Amino acid sequence: MMTTDFILAIIFDCFFAAVASIGFAVISNPPRKAILVSAFLAAVGHGFRYFLLQSTSLDISSASFIAAFIIGLLSILFAKKIHCPAEVFSFPSLLPMIPGMYAYKTVLASVKFIQSDDYPTSVNIIVDIFRNGTTTVFVLFALVVGVSVPMFIFHSQTFSVTRILKFVNKERRTLGKPSVEIEQIEER
Amino acid sequence: MDIHSELKELSHFLSDYSTCLMAVGTHTSRVVRNTSRIAQSFGFFADMTIFQKTIIMTLRDKDNLHSYSSVNKIKPMALNFEINSRLSSLSWEAYDERLSLAQIKSRYQEIVSKPRMNKWIVLLLVAFANASFCRLFLGDWQAMSIVFIATLVGFFVRQKMMEKHINHLFVFVSASFVASMIGSIATLYNIGNTPQIALGTSVLFLIPGVPLINGVLDIIEGHALAGVSRLINAALLIICLAIGLSLTLLLIGVDAL
Repeated sequence: MMTTDFILAIIFDCFFAAVASIGFAVISNPPRKAILVSAFLAAVGHGFRYFLLQSTSLDISSASFIAAFIIGLLSILFAKKIHCPAEVFSFPSLLPMIPGMYAYKTVLASVKFIQSDDYPTSVNIIVDIFRNGTTTVFVLFALVVGVSVPMFIFHSQTFSVTRILKFVNKERRTLGKPSVEIEQIEER
Repeated sequence: MDIHSELKELSHFLSDYSTCLMAVGTHTSRVVRNTSRIAQSFGFFADMTIFQKTIIMTLRDKDNLHSYSSVNKIKPMALNFEINSRLSSLSWEAYDERLSLAQIKSRYQEIVSKPRMNKWIVLLLVAFANASFCRLFLGDWQAMSIVFIATLVGFFVRQKMMEKHINHLFVFVSASFVASMIGSIATLYNIGNTPQIALGTSVLFLIPGVPLINGVLDIIEGHALAGVSRLINAALLIICLAIGLSLTLLLIGVDAL
């Protein structure tokens, strides 16, 4: 199963997913230090999804869920390292997996449905609309739920990664003030 | 200073802060959390209702004796994750270091006025991204180079029209039409073995990925109304993209993609 060709295909997939993620990320002007991280996460996620789709019988939405879950876990690790909200690099790394083609194919098929007038083609087109539409919705939800499950598990860490207490306390000690402790803010 | 003018001043700032966060593409629960955190650092509480175009916010003191309400318009802005990240940091700084309102305001201005990445670099990177996207859909190198050129031109059209503040739905139809017309060169002249993939992926740079993700995230976090309106907006953009693409298909006479 793991031939050199297959491994090479996975590596190529990782590389092109990383390039795609960088390009789609810069549209939303991310912080400079987050761009490379999101490229790395995209490579891992997309490569892993490619591996799952090729070597197991998983469908595309379950494979996307697992890939997004891995991206979510890694993004929390990186978020703690470089003090950015996790979604700043987990969202761009999901972009190559967004089911864009399925989404517009749904619309195109609907346009074709209005234009067709004989019964058998119409039935075929309905199957097309339904297959593309459900794939879009399921993959989209799988991606977002997959990436946010780790955020819910590590709830308190996720929402305070942009807090830089270490520096705050160092500064406060030099001023002779008591240091601040992490306290859970009352959720409202 | 009496409590009411204090509430009023903070409320003015928080309305700027929250509408800016919302406009640059932060998901709703983070907007609520960051805004209430700054309010708490002054000993107040902020309650807010968020729609696609407005934020309704009431700022009140602990005993609910004094309050200040406002309805704030969300101005359209381009997506910006840097502002998102640094404004989140600012809310923690305000909470931990008890910054004064003047300090927070000056840092806010500094963050918001930071220039974006050079648009020519963005253009080039997006073109490379869409070309490699074409490779992910198993296109060959001829298809990749055609998609590269199509994206370069299509995204340039989008940038130029966005600068002129033309209706964004019309921008999407035009950009997708231009990109897919160039993408269809492969189909017309039978270049390479995968001309269909070149045509199909040439418009994918227009897919509004971040609003789609934000919309679903809002829905599963319970902000259903904000999430659904984000998804409807994203769906509108995808429909516009499909209209541009189907114009091309009509012109070149391809009936299946």
